[in-house]
Amino acid sequence: MLAYIVKRVLRSILSVFIIICIVFVLLRMLPVEGYFGGRYDLLTEEQRQMELYRMGLLDPVPVQLFNFLRQLVTEFDLGLSSRIRVNVPVTTVIADRVPISVQFGLISVAIGMPLGMALGVMMSRKKGGVWDKAGTGYVAILNAVPAPVYMVLIQLYGTMLLGAPLTFRFDSPMSRVLPIITMCLPIIAINAFWMRRYMVDEINRDYIKLAQIKNVPTTTIFFRHVFRNAVVPMTNLIPLSILGTIWGQIIIERLYSIPGMGGLLIDAILARDNALVQALVIMFSAIGIFGLLLGDLLMAFVDPRIRLHKKGAAR
Amino acid sequence: MENNRKVLFSIKDLNVKFSLRGQMLHAIRGISLDIYEGESLAIAGESGSGKSVLMKNLIGLLDKNGRIESGSIMYNGKDLAKFKNEREWRTIRGSQVAMVMQDPMTSLNPLKTVGWQVSEALRYNQNKRGNEAKQCAVEILADVGINDPERRYNQYPHEFSGGMRQRVVIAIAMACNPRLLICDEPTTALDVTIQAQILQLLKELQAKYNLTMVYITHDLGVVANVADRIAVMYAGDIVEIGTCDEVFFNAKHPYTWALLSSLPQLGERKSDLFSIKGTPPNLFFGVRGDAFAVRNPLPMAIDFLHRPPYFQISPTHKARTWLLDPRAPALEPPEQIESIKDI
Repeated sequence: MLAYIVKRVLRSILSVFIIICIVFVLLRMLPVEGYFGGRYDLLTEEQRQMELYRMGLLDPVPVQLFNFLRQLVTEFDLGLSSRIRVNVPVTTVIADRVPISVQFGLISVAIGMPLGMALGVMMSRKKGGVWDKAGTGYVAILNAVPAPVYMVLIQLYGTMLLGAPLTFRFDSPMSRVLPIITMCLPIIAINAFWMRRYMVDEINRDYIKLAQIKNVPTTTIFFRHVFRNAVVPMTNLIPLSILGTIWGQIIIERLYSIPGMGGLLIDAILARDNALVQALVIMFSAIGIFGLLLGDLLMAFVDPRIRLHKKGAAR
Repeated sequence: MENNRKVLFSIKDLNVKFSLRGQMLHAIRGISLDIYEGESLAIAGESGSGKSVLMKNLIGLLDKNGRIESGSIMYNGKDLAKFKNEREWRTIRGSQVAMVMQDPMTSLNPLKTVGWQVSEALRYNQNKRGNEAKQCAVEILADVGINDPERRYNQYPHEFSGGMRQRVVIAIAMACNPRLLICDEPTTALDVTIQAQILQLLKELQAKYNLTMVYITHDLGVVANVADRIAVMYAGDIVEIGTCDEVFFNAKHPYTWALLSSLPQLGERKSDLFSIKGTPPNLFFGVRGDAFAVRNPLPMAIDFLHRPPYFQISPTHKARTWLLDPRAPALEPPEQIESIKDI
């Protein structure tokens, strides 16, 4: 087990390193305006070259990459923002936005995931039954309708019916209700979908039949054998979907003017804030890899076939 | 075999139908069968002949789209064919009837230890829990030939080989302490060398616990050593039933002849392996006459018109074929099966 964890962690670190290198090299191709903020047009060509030289941007790319990595590791320095918040370290810019996204994301996942899994379980109990049909309809509609459509509709009618505020305010709990409901909908759908699928897989297993043969009560079989085993592949999904919910709410955060992470990358790209774009792209990929890692570790924790595998190899 | 033994299960004129894609499939077509206490009965037939379906009726595990159309299954004064809900079936499952399934690689829960799975059976059938259950489970594991059962108790199925897993499945069945053990092709998924060991184990357990056994198989060779009686099924019906010797050496039904002819014989190099031409009848449509007539190399006109009744050959041996009617021409069984001397 320990060997497996160490190996898996090392592999993830290697992946992150490779991604940083690739992203860094690619982003060297961005137009250099992005490093000057609003001053680009005011400077002469010589002044621009001076400034680029001072920032080390005229060095060969490998040297730049090495300096970047050194600063990242030693001081956790990802450079300065040039347009979104002028001359503020990008780590600060990002850190200020993280808590609110984390808050919304975690609450939505905490509500949506159990609901989705419960719906999936209900759907799996009777194939073609009322729950199954209703649930399948829900998943299908939610996937077929473009997300902005139902998001806007919820905002429109939600504010009318519930009297909830149209935009987010830190001091108003009510203003969090509609964004959270909106975030929950796809979480419920995806979890219900996978849960149902894994439950149905399990129900048809031979060992469920053997449990019946050995006279285990139906509800006990359902929870102790079917549900327990169906959760295993779900655990692989959980970390990534949590992280995705936290960082991925671009439209919803825009709609309700929530100062979260979601819109930041787009803002940075539009504003040509090179250092911030670079930091965000690296961060998103690192988070993705971290999510996969966490999923695999959780899976190893619940599945003895991985946990006890002598060579510690991933299956 | 003496005829006055106690009947454990008595199946009478059982008809089972499945609804499949809006059509009715007549899977069991009027079977009557007595299972005697302490005997070992083999049910042989090709895939789809209904042998598994027939036995699933004894344990209430018929697939959801199937139902008993008519007939009765008497056990202990109760008619299992009338059972409606899980509560009634739970009085039978495990403690009265247990089953060993075909594929040991998939019949154990991969996330639970082997010992836990045996203990679970003890808990729901013998009401043993905790340490008592563990002790008992270790004993049973030793009983089915698993070395070092204390250590093995805490291991997971993936740490066992196929043969060892089948022993665990058998241990689970034994932990239920049943009166009837149904073995649904218990050796099909195993290596040939392991097959013999597993059959030997089942035989020993039967003697030790005075079990009644039913073997479901498509391989007559497998059951020759373990079965007292053999019932040959074809198209949802028992076409011939008799003691092991009677079916092997004095078979009367053309289908039994064909089955026996297709057994490979050691040391016979002369000819290709015999195979039965054609396919079994489609049970979506009614079967007229003798179901085997269309594949029978020498059918009689009446085979296509009327379903043959059973003709009693000896007190323990009967077959459903018009060949046994006094008016039928004498027909000798094919020579291939003459060479079957010992199996």
